[in-house]
Amino acid sequence: MAPIEDRISARWIEVGTHVAFTILVLSFAIYALQILDPLVPLQDLVRLWQLPVDRFVAQTGAPTGWAWLRLLGKGDYLNLLGVAVFVVVTIACYARMVPLFIREGKRTQALFAFLQVVVLLAAASGLFR
Amino acid sequence: MDWWVWPVALLAVTFAMGIVAVLAGVGGGVLFVPIIGAFFPFHLDFVRAAGLLLALTAALSAAPSLLRSGLASVRLALPLTVVSSITSIAGALLGLALPTGALQIALGLLILAIAAVMWRSRASVHPQVARADPLSMALGMHGMYHDAALGRDVEWKVHRTAAGFVAFAGIGVIAGMFGLGAGWANVPALNLLMGVPLKLAVGTSGFLLIGGATSAAWIYLERGAVLPMLVVPSIIGVMLGAKVGVRLLKAAKPAHVRQVVLILLVLAGARALLKGFGI
Repeated sequence: MAPIEDRISARWIEVGTHVAFTILVLSFAIYALQILDPLVPLQDLVRLWQLPVDRFVAQTGAPTGWAWLRLLGKGDYLNLLGVAVFVVVTIACYARMVPLFIREGKRTQALFAFLQVVVLLAAASGLFR
Repeated sequence: MDWWVWPVALLAVTFAMGIVAVLAGVGGGVLFVPIIGAFFPFHLDFVRAAGLLLALTAALSAAPSLLRSGLASVRLALPLTVVSSITSIAGALLGLALPTGALQIALGLLILAIAAVMWRSRASVHPQVARADPLSMALGMHGMYHDAALGRDVEWKVHRTAAGFVAFAGIGVIAGMFGLGAGWANVPALNLLMGVPLKLAVGTSGFLLIGGATSAAWIYLERGAVLPMLVVPSIIGVMLGAKVGVRLLKAAKPAHVRQVVLILLVLAGARALLKGFGI
């Protein structure tokens, strides 16, 4: 049988991925069917997506950092919720491993799991902007 | 051209890519970035972000069954993941800072190099590791998995761990910079350098990729480079394609599919080079 950390990771990833994928499909349907207005009109997007990201942001007023959370009422940025769940699943999975390794006396591995959480949170925090 | 043509085209192309990726045993990211970057109108910033998310979702989808079957190991992946996650942040920042032309040229050269590595590389199913090195023992990088084909348990241990850390630091930079995923590099590094049995190397490669792709993906997300119209149809297409690919796996001839992948990579790499030179 696979070690406990592998089995628990498998369960967390499985559940999180299903939730994220469901949100992603539903939010994209809302976007493509234009049930919610997008921030960037679909007709303009075809021209704008050829620009580098800095110019795209400047021309569209697209959010950077965590500002997209304030635009969840827009069809396009609603999709980032599903994307974020995929990414958060990973952090949650590593965070779950820390107490697990400590309980099993695997302090080195607990330290690496903790470091991994710190690195991912640092990346998410906008520290490297 | 109407906007809806592009998500439909993406869905179709990434569906085919998902099938081919499974049959050829490569990650979707390594095909996605050069092909979509070369033949679709999206800027490379958006394509790289989408490539990372694609690699992440594909790795997350495969991880549960690989972990449960013992063909992926958290204790093997974890220390290496920390290193590649840090360097993939640096890679993402570097990629976003470089001029597009230079990045296209670098991408073209890299894709051609990957095609050459894939063409030349010979894996070792059960590499000989005479003695595990002290660093790997201290990090708990050893264990056992059941090989159904052999009908027995296989013990594994690793060596050259310090060199492995250096290799994964480099892989992280490249993965973050180009959004390629890293299965093409993870497997040889684990298998040929560190002496991990091939099956375990393939399975663990995906779990390793999760950490690096996540950290770099945050950087792109934070900069506003995640374009839903590009990302979502691509993820759906590749996931559906991968499911069909798994079903076709029994009947397909992987060697032939691999040759098709190599040709595609050479064409996409050459196209990226030409774009980089403004041709």
